[in-house]
Amino acid sequence: MRVQDHKIFKIVVKDAWSYTTGAILLAVLNIALFALSKIPWGVTTPFSYWGAWIGKTFGIHVEKWYYFAGPHKSALNMSFFTHQGSIMNLGIIVGALLAALAASQFKIKKIKSVSQVIAAISGGLLMGYGARIAFGCNIGALFSGLASSSLHGWIYMVFMFVGAWIGSKLLVKYFM
Amino acid sequence: MAEYRLDCMGEACPVPLIKTQKKMADMKVGDVVVVEIDHSCAMKNVPEWARKEGHNVDIEETSEGEWEIYIEKTK
Repeated sequence: MRVQDHKIFKIVVKDAWSYTTGAILLAVLNIALFALSKIPWGVTTPFSYWGAWIGKTFGIHVEKWYYFAGPHKSALNMSFFTHQGSIMNLGIIVGALLAALAASQFKIKKIKSVSQVIAAISGGLLMGYGARIAFGCNIGALFSGLASSSLHGWIYMVFMFVGAWIGSKLLVKYFM
Repeated sequence: MAEYRLDCMGEACPVPLIKTQKKMADMKVGDVVVVEIDHSCAMKNVPEWARKEGHNVDIEETSEGEWEIYIEKTK
């Protein structure tokens, strides 16, 4: 029998896990991460650092920006391989790739239309901007915020639904 | 008993689900729609929605990372 036909392979590797399984694993892993590194899980703050490092390379004075002059000053002394969040983001991408490959579901997808490109780029920019003014994304601000019993996590959740509602209306109206 | 095909290749959530919902609204009872997807999340939320609505659903992996979801309108 091929390993791909085995029942356990199908449950663990091939089929999608239930939301409950995912939720429990995420909670356990975030606790482990926080216990080991003293920093809860976040995703988008490293993106702003990547932008700053690239900008600095091209002579843009990001150290004068409020964000990098004050709260995130230490970012400019770090690099990709000395920054925990950057390595973790790389881990997410590599892990997702391995999971897709193991399940034989890896595929390079075609870009369908110009409007899909516009929707993806404008959506990405809006989410990136939103994540900065909200001090985090749905991981750093919502997931890790709720886990630390912070009120900002709950406020984030309310407005995330407002944003998702507006976003889906725009999607249906202009991009479908 | 018409059969429709819905090309959702290259579309990410929630587009395949919204397209399926729109198509199903136009169909008659007994008609079948085949939704072609290559987005694994749609493989979860499209069948989930259709089953909750009480339609008959079948999923087939047609190629690596590509699926066809058969939905028969039952009401």
